[in-house]
Amino acid sequence: MSVFKETMLFFKRKVMETVRQPMWLFMGLSTPLIYIVLFAPLLKNMGYPPRTTVEVLDSFVPGLLTLLAFGSGMGAGWTMIWELQSGVIERLRVTPASRFSMLMGGVLRDVLMFIIPSVLVIAICSFLGFHVHFAGLLVLLLLLCLLTAIISAWSASLGLIFKEVGGLAAVVTGLQLPLTLLSGVLLPLSLGPDWLRAIAHANPLYYTVEASRVLADGIISSAETINAFAVMIPLTILVLAWATRVYRKAVA
Amino acid sequence: MSAIIEARELEKSFRVKGKSKTVEAVRGVTLSVSEGEIYAFLGPNGAGKTTFQRMLTTLLPIDGGTAIIAGFDMKRKPGEVRKHIGYVSQIGGADLPATGRENLLLAGQLYGMKRRDVEQKIHELTGLLEIDELLDRIVRTYSGGQKRRLEIALGILHEPEILFMDEPTTGLDPQNRANLWAHIKALKERGMTVFLTTHYLDEADELADRLAIIDYGQIVTEGAPKELKKQISGDVIQLRLKNGGALPQELLSGLDFVNETRTDGETVILYVGDGAKALPIIFDLLKKRSLEAEAVSLLQPSLDDVFLKQTGRSLRDTGKGESK
Repeated sequence: MSVFKETMLFFKRKVMETVRQPMWLFMGLSTPLIYIVLFAPLLKNMGYPPRTTVEVLDSFVPGLLTLLAFGSGMGAGWTMIWELQSGVIERLRVTPASRFSMLMGGVLRDVLMFIIPSVLVIAICSFLGFHVHFAGLLVLLLLLCLLTAIISAWSASLGLIFKEVGGLAAVVTGLQLPLTLLSGVLLPLSLGPDWLRAIAHANPLYYTVEASRVLADGIISSAETINAFAVMIPLTILVLAWATRVYRKAVA
Repeated sequence: MSAIIEARELEKSFRVKGKSKTVEAVRGVTLSVSEGEIYAFLGPNGAGKTTFQRMLTTLLPIDGGTAIIAGFDMKRKPGEVRKHIGYVSQIGGADLPATGRENLLLAGQLYGMKRRDVEQKIHELTGLLEIDELLDRIVRTYSGGQKRRLEIALGILHEPEILFMDEPTTGLDPQNRANLWAHIKALKERGMTVFLTTHYLDEADELADRLAIIDYGQIVTEGAPKELKKQISGDVIQLRLKNGGALPQELLSGLDFVNETRTDGETVILYVGDGAKALPIIFDLLKKRSLEAEAVSLLQPSLDDVFLKQTGRSLRDTGKGESK
């Protein structure tokens, strides 16, 4: 059987699982909405003169989408540990199905579960005045899908390696804060000293955030966009290859 | 009949977390299982049964030795081996948030079966295993026995030549156990080879054509249950004295018909030639010494007696010890 067909079978399995857990959809949507309601007003009065809601949304929505892309992939490790403990992974690993498609089923589900709330967030924000640049946002979503795929594969593999929630939670949530702070997604890095900005350049998320602002403004071809894809495409390939190796070797 | 599983000197050791020492879980196991046979791996918890089976099912890399499964070398062609085996693990592994039918459809399609063929097979198998009426329910709502039968269906949907089962009836009530045994025997009737691990004596006795007793990662003895029990010639008398007193050693050594004696807690076990003749003599002797028996039983030798003879421990006791 082709890897594509297998991947679709695993993808379907994961989607059905999600559909039966409407809580996930709710949680996926609630986080961005909380940011819009509780965080965006804080940004309004930052700097002088105070900014309008539209200005704040225009600068904050791309960052919000990036956070959403990051968060959508993070949970994969927890699901993995649950599936390890219930024996599902072991049962699937005895089948001749390729390890790559087992990985990709979950990754694609997470990507889908990033796209759906993102589109809703964009729609809601456009009602509040957010300027929608269609082509730019499309390229941005594509870039962010890569981010979700990376985080999802990474988290799932860590779940396979640690096999228990403690270790996984320590690494994933431990890295989440420095990665997001050093990407400039919450507050612009231009506020920080040189050394902080220097470190940020080692963070792949930084390039994504930089590109997200430009793309949301509707500018597609820019140095930022090229840099972001130049970093994220090889990184996606690298992480997926590594994760497939982990799946192949995994001993539960 | 030709061998469908051939393991030679299989070895596996694990590094203990946080320590530099290693634990040898499987220490040179050699065995061969013929086509169409039910073969049981009997031993206490922690004896290495599951580890051994996980090597044969491609889930654990082999440290040493070789294994040929359905004609394919485990180390070189794990992918081919996977096509020819089914595995039902102890924890099961059915997808709880999905329905039974979805579970089965996915399993069949992963082996490259056409959807229509899978549906046909689901119809046939779930009728056989009596889960056809649950198929469209979410697995989370199944009872223990129902879930186990679904998991067996998942393991045999693609008609593997060999079905591996790890402790198939652990956690089931007596009625469900008997039911599952009947199903496992029915699989053999269909020509399937079944390799199962168990720590239940009655399960091995009831199901196995041949069995191996495993202890500390090694096979202690192997054969058909009947043959193994023949190692213990004659009958078994179990005797417990009132107030838990010990039986005087010289009393027993004077009896020429007692082949062997053992103690299991406060119970004395005597292996004798003919139990019916031995009992009155033993009662007489006890009377002379004014000892009173609290409980006496005359038994046929069981696999536990075989285990006791080979390892010096009772399987029942080791089981209890492990679970503490």
